Amino acid sequence: MSGFVHLHVHSRFSFMDGAADLDALIGRAAALGMPALALTDHQGLYGALRFYRKARAAGIRPILGAEIVVEAAGLPGEEGDLPPENRLLLPAPVGFGRAAGRGFHLTLLAKDIHGYRNLCGLLSRAHVRSAEKPSIVSLADLARHSEGLLGLSGCMNGEAGAAVLAGLGWRAEEALRRLARCFAPGDFYVELMHLLTPESSRYVSGLAAIAGRLHLPIVATNNVHYVEQREFRLHDVLAAAGARTGLPGPYGRQNAELWLKPAGEMRRLFADIPQSCDATLKIAERCQLDLGLGAFHFPSAEVAAGETPYSTLAKAAWQGLERRYRPVTPASVSRLQHELSVIQDLGFSEYFLVVKDIVDFARSRGIRYSGRGSAGDSIVTYLLGITDADPIRHDLLFERFLNPERRQMPDIDVDFDSRRRDEVIEYIYKRFGDEHVAMVATVQTMTARGAVRTVARAFDLPIDEVNALSRHLPWVSAHRLREVLDTYPECVGHPLKDRERYGLLTELAEELSGCPMHLGTHLGGFIITREPIATWMPLQWAAKGVVVSQYDKDDIEMLGLVKMDILGLRMHSAISDAVELARARVGVDAVPEPFELVPDDPSVYELIASADTVGMFQLESSGQRNLAMRLKERTFEDIIAAISLFRPGPLEAEMITPFIRRRHGIEPVTVPHPAMGEILRDSYGVILYQEQVLRVAQAIAGFSLAEADSLRRAMTKGRSREEMEKIHGHFVTRAVGLGVPRAAAEEAFRQLEGFAAYGFCKAHAACFAVVSYASAWLKRYYPAEFAAAILNNEPMGFYTPRLVVNDARRHGMVILPPHVNASRSLYTVEDDGRAIRVGFRDVHEMTHRLLTAIEHEQDVRPFRDLADFLRRTRAEAPAAESLIRVGALDGLGITDAGRPPTRDELLALLPEMKAVIAREGVAGDDVLVLAPATARIPEDPTHVSGWSRARRLSAELEIVGLSLECHPLALARSDLERRGVTWARDLPKLEDRTRVRVAGVRERAQTPRTRSGKRTCFLTLEDPTGLLDVVVFEDALDRAGETIVKHRAYVVEGVLQNNHERGIAIIADRVEPYVVRTASGTPVRMRRGVPSGPMGPSLGGAGAPEEESWAAAETAAVYNG
Amino acid sequence: MGRNSAIKSFDPARETGQPLDLFSGRDARRPVIVELLRSPWIIRGSQVSAGTSGHSGKRREEEVTVVWDGARRTPAAFQLNGRRYSVDALVQTWTLERAWWDPRARLSRRCFRVLARGGLYDLAYDLLTGQWLLVGIVD
Repeated sequence: MSGFVHLHVHSRFSFMDGAADLDALIGRAAALGMPALALTDHQGLYGALRFYRKARAAGIRPILGAEIVVEAAGLPGEEGDLPPENRLLLPAPVGFGRAAGRGFHLTLLAKDIHGYRNLCGLLSRAHVRSAEKPSIVSLADLARHSEGLLGLSGCMNGEAGAAVLAGLGWRAEEALRRLARCFAPGDFYVELMHLLTPESSRYVSGLAAIAGRLHLPIVATNNVHYVEQREFRLHDVLAAAGARTGLPGPYGRQNAELWLKPAGEMRRLFADIPQSCDATLKIAERCQLDLGLGAFHFPSAEVAAGETPYSTLAKAAWQGLERRYRPVTPASVSRLQHELSVIQDLGFSEYFLVVKDIVDFARSRGIRYSGRGSAGDSIVTYLLGITDADPIRHDLLFERFLNPERRQMPDIDVDFDSRRRDEVIEYIYKRFGDEHVAMVATVQTMTARGAVRTVARAFDLPIDEVNALSRHLPWVSAHRLREVLDTYPECVGHPLKDRERYGLLTELAEELSGCPMHLGTHLGGFIITREPIATWMPLQWAAKGVVVSQYDKDDIEMLGLVKMDILGLRMHSAISDAVELARARVGVDAVPEPFELVPDDPSVYELIASADTVGMFQLESSGQRNLAMRLKERTFEDIIAAISLFRPGPLEAEMITPFIRRRHGIEPVTVPHPAMGEILRDSYGVILYQEQVLRVAQAIAGFSLAEADSLRRAMTKGRSREEMEKIHGHFVTRAVGLGVPRAAAEEAFRQLEGFAAYGFCKAHAACFAVVSYASAWLKRYYPAEFAAAILNNEPMGFYTPRLVVNDARRHGMVILPPHVNASRSLYTVEDDGRAIRVGFRDVHEMTHRLLTAIEHEQDVRPFRDLADFLRRTRAEAPAAESLIRVGALDGLGITDAGRPPTRDELLALLPEMKAVIAREGVAGDDVLVLAPATARIPEDPTHVSGWSRARRLSAELEIVGLSLECHPLALARSDLERRGVTWARDLPKLEDRTRVRVAGVRERAQTPRTRSGKRTCFLTLEDPTGLLDVVVFEDALDRAGETIVKHRAYVVEGVLQNNHERGIAIIADRVEPYVVRTASGTPVRMRRGVPSGPMGPSLGGAGAPEEESWAAAETAAVYNG
Repeated sequence: MGRNSAIKSFDPARETGQPLDLFSGRDARRPVIVELLRSPWIIRGSQVSAGTSGHSGKRREEEVTVVWDGARRTPAAFQLNGRRYSVDALVQTWTLERAWWDPRARLSRRCFRVLARGGLYDLAYDLLTGQWLLVGIVD
């Protein structure tokens, strides 16, 4: 017998341990002529399904298994009960996150589907049993659920292997005997590894001798951790970083032999015992797992007695038709009949009912939600209340969602009010049962930063050095690391460019590109199954305390299981809040439900067309504002077009320019065939929507819509030249057969070919447009409530809270500072909708306890002075200091000078008052008089705070991340005007191609990938009068990149672009840092000095901390132009 | 007669004593020695203190000339102190790959424990320098 099959193989899905890429593994095994290959990652099946699919595609039989951690078998009690000479050192923990276990290893292989299900169950029980206990499979569980499984005794960290190495032959024998009893006779093998270490011969012959005595079969393996021998360094690095130790890592590997060795090499190692190699082939023959991919498995839907899922669905849809269409039209009836029949044919009724069940619950609880994606193409989803865009009115095509020719799992995504999403999730668990619901995993792979940090940690570099090496690296793939370091301007002076010192580190980091790093939890993906999920896939605890599958969404789709995206959308929360605030002010009946508005209010479109869109859903980004200036939206269809045009596909295909030119009549609308004129009327002859591709193929070549969708998919996904030629011939022949002139058919195909891959799903845009219009309407009619609601739901949208506040101020609203007698936790609206009061939530050092205490005491009576505030709230000193500095206690109390104390005086009093309160429990009002503070002379006696405007502004920016009184650059207005700076509001009045100098604070900096491959930075700056869009092309970026990254405010010189086609922007050729200084020369702090408010960076609302150092800005060359 | 028959027929209780010579000659003795050396149950005194360093017995590191047997992928002979040592048997091989991240301490070797002239020698081929080294002599 010749040949060999590797049965103990770790891929990169043995997180932070295995270095073997799945594709490379399979490619190498195929090249070596191996008939089969196993995958046995630590503690799970993370990569098993992709391996299964890829191996089968490569003609290799996949053997699925795992190397699990199992309890000790070779002794009756605990390890610690043994005399020291009989104890074995437990190996280092293996497995990812909470699936990690420390104990002896055992390799399991699934012979068949029973074995696979048992393996999933064993792993799930070990991992999910308790979030705190380590994941170890018990022998009892193994014995009960070993049907269909083959056991291999494991590596040197298996109990038998470890005992042999320790010279405890008796223990090895006992362990093997007891492990073998867990499996059916003949299903347990003693695993031999000859890893070419000095101990290998002794190890192999020792285990083989015991196996002979126990009459157990033997099998040779190589504990593969990498494909090629040269990759051993990656394994060492991953293992060391994963175990948080320096190299050589937890295993202390002596050599580099854990590679996928050819059969000849393996047989040479086991020349004395060839039967161990023969066994690998026999085992491969015994493993005939068929996962039965291709079938769908829906969760059970609630169906009344005597009804079927289809009849229930149909009844609900017809009821919805009566509700949504008044009057019911023939078109809607025939459309519904068609869709229902397709859904019935495909057997998807249960899926629709499950989604309906969930949204019905949300509706019944008043939880705002909206369906999105291609599900919007279906009238059934519209009638069931899942989506809100009328598919007939917007000409949306069902076949784009469900293609009868391709039986694919439908995908309905629903966004819920993010604040109340947990209620929906709780309902799902309750409705379907805990054992039938789990969250979907995501596999996080290494980017340049992650890879650099991993290698640096393995090299045991000090943490400051690790941080310095990974900081300022752009978010790019690790394999581009050296290219990025050489070419990106922000990497000028990056420490990694020291090749002598970091050459090896950079090289290894590049090799780690794309390596799975850890398992994450999908934002909102849930798996819902009819049978317990643990029979389909292993489950484990995620870091965030939920049970998560070990499979990602693609794996789940492959298994034919239902995955639902229950996503949280903060805009829904903001809309709900704004409506509530507005109704509280003007009455419930005065404010209609925004989602049910007829989208035809000209003043709303006027607002959008003037690019005054800060806060509006999907319409607020700098690109969208620029587009709005050119598009001048007038109808709901225009909003759909705007949302669709500013997407990667249409942007890459450069659809915007012809669309705008044709809309404004600059160029004529031309189509190859009159039939296309009608289809493309809304988009001026440009194929913008995927639905239009289907319509064109139908009209020109007579395709059915299902055929047309297949054509679209073929043109979109991995199209080869040969395939395209075939499609081309087919299309043109059919078109000519229908009497279309060949030239027109050729041109129509050319356009389809050019745009099919880049078009956007109109249904998705239409679903979004409903939310966009609602947000625009709220901004138009209830701007204060809308801004407050946005601020209360930060972080959300495109801009920081600071910009939202500045935008509100520009719209005439007064921004009131936080005050202990007026502010609540959240932002509130005052003065009949003309003022917004800042809440306490984002104040630095604020705690939940203090927030609650303040709100509670406010309801009792107002605070009189600082002492009263401290006594009643027991405010912690840091929080109290923040509140004083931001002005929340301004005007409270009275000093012996007969005026309220200044902030300096309050700050000076604070420690003593805290001490008095701590000592006596009560601080009397007279403390203020008894202990007059010695404070510096007020800088600004006209202001109650005694602080200058600049100092107040610095404190606001530092403590709440906002500039409440004015924009920071307003302080430097005279200096900037002296320098000839043009303000944002004046730019539209200037001619195209005028040379300008502008100043602004950075709001966003984006460097999206461009078609040419060149880097272009799109800067959104803000000055006191509005927003500025600055484009920095590659040559200018080379000079200005570092400045942009390291500074916050700039003076930009460049050429103004102000025309219909391109909108308003500044093409920069010089970007210099600008430090705002007060009259006394003190710099104004431009950044928030704290990570966030009490709820952490994600909920604090003031954005993440900025990386650049204040010192760097201070010492930088300041613009002096 | 099996190659270990002499050992197997040894009877310590035999009052008349044993045949004086267990082995008929050098060739008869060699497989027994190799068998003993490869035995998992016998750890030589000189190996006990060696730990897992990969060296055993007397450690030394000196360059030697090795005649390579390409067909059997083992050293056939080596030259030490002017004397030629023919390799009688290959006892064990192992590889070493250590401290690859540190250019000063890096070690990358393929080691061969061979029986020659009645002694046990550890030869190593250094993959970094391309040199053959004698890295240990085990009595």
